[in-house]
Amino acid sequence: MIDPLQASLSIASSGLEAQSARIRVVSENMANSESTGATAGAAPYARKTITFEGEMSRAVGAELVKVKNIGTDRTPFRIEHDPGNPAADQNGDVKLPNVNVLVEMADMREANRSYEANLQILKQTQGLVSMTIDLLKG
Amino acid sequence: MIPAIGPILSAVDPSSALDVVTKGATGASASTPTDFGQMLTQVATDAVSSLQKGEATAISGVQGKASVQQVVEAVMNAQENLQTAIAIRDKLVAAYQEVSRMAI
Repeated sequence: MIDPLQASLSIASSGLEAQSARIRVVSENMANSESTGATAGAAPYARKTITFEGEMSRAVGAELVKVKNIGTDRTPFRIEHDPGNPAADQNGDVKLPNVNVLVEMADMREANRSYEANLQILKQTQGLVSMTIDLLKG
Repeated sequence: MIPAIGPILSAVDPSSALDVVTKGATGASASTPTDFGQMLTQVATDAVSSLQKGEATAISGVQGKASVQQVVEAVMNAQENLQTAIAIRDKLVAAYQEVSRMAI
């Protein structure tokens, strides 16, 4: 049997890790939003996606969150006519990543808010635990 | 129940003189009867082991092997265990002194 407050701390901590993985994926997408292929006509950087799943932890006795899969977005690449680009094919078309910077920004905001929410849980729980321990003092 | 207290309190023999201190807090039946000194030793050992774990995680965090979240969690855990151990020790030592000051 584990203390529910202790379990909340572990769960919120797993949430922090999951959201930081999400932020990592977003920053990867942002940084590579203009990365073209290495050779002529090659496929550019494909946007990465991240999914989460619940994971029953026996040690904690509660459902933690973990990264389920980091996959790639299958939406078609943007095509731009730029014959001077080294990655351009015979027609002078360059494939650009299927990354929409606005979507990534929104995703980052969401991850940020989620992270803050988990931090708040950690803070509140920690406060409750130390207040309880303080009962023994004085 | 605070996890650091649970096993310690349930380790105390409920038929001993410390019954007053532990009464109500122990749900489980006591397994092995231990004396006051052994219990304090156990409190200290638990605190030290969780402190060591927190320290090890902090070091691997500095080395880049553990995430900030893991380091914070381990250190917070260690701090909490140490606070619990100190609070229990203070309380129990006070109770012990109270007994020793008893007028005979």
